Amino acid sequence: MNTIPNLWVLSIIPMINILIFPTGLTLILVGMFYEWIDRKLVARLQNRIGPRWFQPFADIVKLFAKEQINPDKANALLFFGLPVLALSGALTAALYVPLMGLAPVHSFPGDLIVTIYLLSLLTMSIGLAGWNTRSRFSLVGATRALTQTFAYEAPFMLAMLGPALAAGSWQINEINTYASGHWMVLTQPICFLVALIGLMGKLELPPFDAPEAETEIVAGALTDYSGRGLAIFNIGKSVELVIGITLIASFYLGGLGGILPFLIKTIALLLVMSVFQSLLTRLRIDQTVGLWWRFGAILALAQILVMIVWKGYFQ
Amino acid sequence: MATNVFDMCPASWKQVISEVRTWARLNSIWAVHFNSGSCNGCDIETLATLTPRYDVERFGIKLQGSPRHADVLLVTGPVTRQARERLVRTYEQMPEPKFVISIGSCSISGGVFEGCYNVGGSVDEVVPVDVYIPGCPPRPEAIINGIIQLLTHVKEGTRPVAKRPEQTAEVASSQQERVVA
Repeated sequence: MNTIPNLWVLSIIPMINILIFPTGLTLILVGMFYEWIDRKLVARLQNRIGPRWFQPFADIVKLFAKEQINPDKANALLFFGLPVLALSGALTAALYVPLMGLAPVHSFPGDLIVTIYLLSLLTMSIGLAGWNTRSRFSLVGATRALTQTFAYEAPFMLAMLGPALAAGSWQINEINTYASGHWMVLTQPICFLVALIGLMGKLELPPFDAPEAETEIVAGALTDYSGRGLAIFNIGKSVELVIGITLIASFYLGGLGGILPFLIKTIALLLVMSVFQSLLTRLRIDQTVGLWWRFGAILALAQILVMIVWKGYFQ
Repeated sequence: MATNVFDMCPASWKQVISEVRTWARLNSIWAVHFNSGSCNGCDIETLATLTPRYDVERFGIKLQGSPRHADVLLVTGPVTRQARERLVRTYEQMPEPKFVISIGSCSISGGVFEGCYNVGGSVDEVVPVDVYIPGCPPRPEAIINGIIQLLTHVKEGTRPVAKRPEQTAEVASSQQERVVA
């Protein structure tokens, strides 16, 4: 008789948590909704009407219903496995962040590092997918995607380190609790900017869309993906968008205490990101790397040095 | 093809699934644009269709770079001998279900370029065409109308049986004669 509550607590609830709410299905739908908001805002900024609210959903369903072509010379296992790996990495990262203002499903000291590594799994998968396809466009796209990873990853990590230092913890949940009393966007504005622009680089949004520059290299690393693989990569990207802005909003914008603050803060961040997207033109890959190492990394480092000195002096 | 999950579903489920699928196909058309030797007139009109003035993204129509991502191939211009093989390859790279729209008089009949030493002929001699949009060049409204014709066929679940507008071909060749004379 004692086994039934155990079964319920140990397997059914985690299963629901992973598959339906808050990660899994709900997160995928929220991701599509955010993708629509992003596309709509960019369209309005370009004086267009923009897509309808169900557009990302229709795109995904259509892609799932299309033929999937496996190119010659591509390893089939890698070709079909990499999109799944990318999406599962993004969905796993969602377990540790305070999505929709709720407490994270799972939390342990040091989960910030794990989350950041899981978030870069998508870029790694895209790079491997481009290498595996053996098409010249996807090879160039993959090279650029991986080069860009080396550019933004360190500054993004430093920018995430700022709030962690202030809160004195590597645990996302604790930083979130600490942040609800401190608007770190005011005390660490440089790290906030670096984190926001780093997220845009992570998601390959303009001006960091050199890896998928459609005017030069067709569609970058995903040139030869069609149907299901492309759909899963797209879902992975929109899921990562939600997780990224959740992280930044909870660290810098005074924490996420509920569903309403979550919506307001993340959509405000999305607005800023879409303004950047329509304002700036695409950077060349060497310009991207130069920007990150010359300005992003050094400014974030300076900010962190100031923080450490401040903390040592006053405490 | 062996049995898959779709075949094992009951009939009512199958109907729901195919309805959702048709709905998605109607509302999300990704196009790839191929210039097979056009004078650029039709390309400019195609771009005008895609840019903010007519903004077809509100219907879910988006221009894609890669033929692997596309549902519709927009071909403009007569097929030159050099472009012929590339057109076939672009068409064959697209995943099923795929459709071809031929835009402009030249892509229908060769237009004013018919009989040129480097022109192979019309688009439908190379790839199967679903919708013809006549005009030299067709206005963006005409292109949107052509896409809607394609969508009505997709909705009915039939391959559109396109009628080649012979009249346009005649008009074009008479124009050509006038020009030559």
